[in-house]
Amino acid sequence: MPNSPSAPPAVDLRPRFEAVILPHLDRLLAFAVRRCDSVADAEDAVQEACVRAWINFADLRDDSSARAWIYRILRTVLSDAREKTGRRQQLVYITRLEDAHDELVGGEHDAVFSEVVARLDAEAVRKALREIPEDFAAAVELHDIDGFKYAEIAEIVGVPIGTVMSRISRGRKLLAGAIVAARGGVAQLESIDAAAERRAQRGGPR
Amino acid sequence: MSDDRSMLASQLGAAEEAAARESRHEVLRELLGAYADRELPPETMAQIDAHLVGCGECRRALEVHATLGARLATEPIVAASPALRARIAEAIDAAPAPVVAPAVDVAQVRGARSARLAWLAVAGWAIAIALAFVLLAERAGFQPLRRETRRIAAPVASVPLLSGVAEDYARVSHGELPGRARDLSAVRAAVPFPIEPLHAPNLRLLAAWTAQVRGEPAAVLAYRLDDRLVVQYLFAEDAFFKHPAVRAAVADHHLLEAASGGRAIVAWPEASSTGTVLIGDVPPDWLHTIWRMESSR
Repeated sequence: MPNSPSAPPAVDLRPRFEAVILPHLDRLLAFAVRRCDSVADAEDAVQEACVRAWINFADLRDDSSARAWIYRILRTVLSDAREKTGRRQQLVYITRLEDAHDELVGGEHDAVFSEVVARLDAEAVRKALREIPEDFAAAVELHDIDGFKYAEIAEIVGVPIGTVMSRISRGRKLLAGAIVAARGGVAQLESIDAAAERRAQRGGPR
Repeated sequence: MSDDRSMLASQLGAAEEAAARESRHEVLRELLGAYADRELPPETMAQIDAHLVGCGECRRALEVHATLGARLATEPIVAASPALRARIAEAIDAAPAPVVAPAVDVAQVRGARSARLAWLAVAGWAIAIALAFVLLAERAGFQPLRRETRRIAAPVASVPLLSGVAEDYARVSHGELPGRARDLSAVRAAVPFPIEPLHAPNLRLLAAWTAQVRGEPAAVLAYRLDDRLVVQYLFAEDAFFKHPAVRAAVADHHLLEAASGGRAIVAWPEASSTGTVLIGDVPPDWLHTIWRMESSR
């Protein structure tokens, strides 16, 4: 009766794994938090992504692409979780957001919009991002928040670079529309800004 | 009449020009995000630069892109807690280790290829010399020398070590091999004697494991030889020499040759206080050749 020998010690990949993957943990968590109902869910997703990355770590041939690689894994984990829970994003009508954006750029409101956006807190940004379709939000976030180039985003998301270009352009339009719509439209935006301006002149909070 | 015609042509031209301008505006507006991110080729950047001079709507849309990009860039990062980091470390500890595919060493492959070519060249010369020798022998009335047989006097069944090997081989050759080639280091650590795999052209290590053969601990190494399975059982010296038939064959011929159920068996003592029993569904000469190559190393 043969005795199977215990598994031999593998090539020690752990130090390399810790050096190229773990430094991205904070950003991975932030990306997951924007997509989950709770921080605990986001932490579970990041943990699962790290375990999957470890098991498949031998597939990573080039350490310089490790950041894009682990993001791709995390997106898969988050997508699996969404399918499992059957949870779908609550979207407002895209045409409504596009109309709000078009109204914004159709008049001289860009300076007001800049003021409003500068005052948005993290929760308001997160809420606006969740109102636009995931594909658009992910492309915008990966570029603007996580600092990926278009070619890297194409790799992470698995689409041609032209699609990334289109998603980012349209995603920002929709995001602007969501921010404007959440404040009751462009006209309301003007009055909110004017009120903030008056409070500032009186020395109160903006 | 001619004035009306020229006015109409002028109006049509203006309309076409406006439509073309609008179409161009639509196309360039879709590129404003990539323009803001400086992800476009220089010639497209220059086209948009020129368009922006005369298009207030695109200038405002560009400002929206820049504003949102700048705001999102300041989005706070969520710091992963030490508890999460510890959880991840524990989960990774519990997960299977990544399987590393062996790296292909080009130099080694080239070396093996040249070694094979050199071996073929030597074999070619050997065949030519053998043919010449046979022709000369026939002319001189000699018969070519037959390879001396070194078959064991006693049947395999009467030597426990050999019958145990034959039984074990029959079992493993009909099922999944109980180890892998990368288990060799673990096998080396598990037995109290040194192990060195065999080397011969077209002989490739497939798996290694440990076994008990008739109560004797053995290291077992399975090889692929062309498309056949050949298995090497390594025993400690005292176990190998336990039966007098083995001692006698080795003393007389340095090698024991036998057959069991149509399978060839050869056995020889290694220099490193071990003994090898090699078995396979192959012609006996194949195993004999492996022994000769090993003994000449």
